[in-house]
Amino acid sequence: MYGSLDISVSGLIAQRTRMQVIAANIANINTLEDAQGNYSPYLRRSVMFAPGDPAAKTQEGRELGVQVEQIKIEPEALTRRLMPGHPYADKDGYVMVPDINPVVEQLNAMEASRAYEANIAAAEAAKAMMSQALRLLA
Amino acid sequence: MSDPLGLIRSATSGASNPLAGGPRPAPGAPSFKDVLLKNIDEVNKLQQDATRAVEDLQAGRRNDVEGVMLATAKADTAFKALQAVRNRVMEAYDEIKQIRV
Repeated sequence: MYGSLDISVSGLIAQRTRMQVIAANIANINTLEDAQGNYSPYLRRSVMFAPGDPAAKTQEGRELGVQVEQIKIEPEALTRRLMPGHPYADKDGYVMVPDINPVVEQLNAMEASRAYEANIAAAEAAKAMMSQALRLLA
Repeated sequence: MSDPLGLIRSATSGASNPLAGGPRPAPGAPSFKDVLLKNIDEVNKLQQDATRAVEDLQAGRRNDVEGVMLATAKADTAFKALQAVRNRVMEAYDEIKQIRV
């Protein structure tokens, strides 16, 4: 009976994780150093989803839900930018900076938020169906 | 004295008396009382899960609002279903009470 609710909630959690990754990408557009201060520019992360949610409590949730399989770090997401005089510039004056386009990230954020709303709508529909069925009894 | 319905029990009336005992469940199937008590236990467990989920969210032990929403929705639906069943049972009992002997 709660299978569709479980599936919708797994979708909600997955989209929220995706939104967190997008926010991390936007926040780290100019990050060139890691926590220890070494030169290690931020590599763009992306989320990989997989079907089935092992944390669900119903069989449908475990089979048909969605889970975050991994948060992939894209290995070559760097671009060269001409910044002569920068401490990390190479001999031509270019610095490798993260290749993150804020417009693309904002569109992904809109998509994630629309997907979140769609999952909420599906959960509301499932709840409405259950309470209407209860009216048969009452 | 004749006893057409066998109401005056004899020592051997046992299984041959058609009015003995009342309706019985099929052999091996759980009785209505067992089913009812088991479902009340499940509703109680769902309610406790929901309360604990809300407490954990407020205390910061968990941060997924959706899981808490799911737990409270499940508990709410289960309780409403139990309420509906109880109303039906009470209605049936009231009707039976009205039967004039």
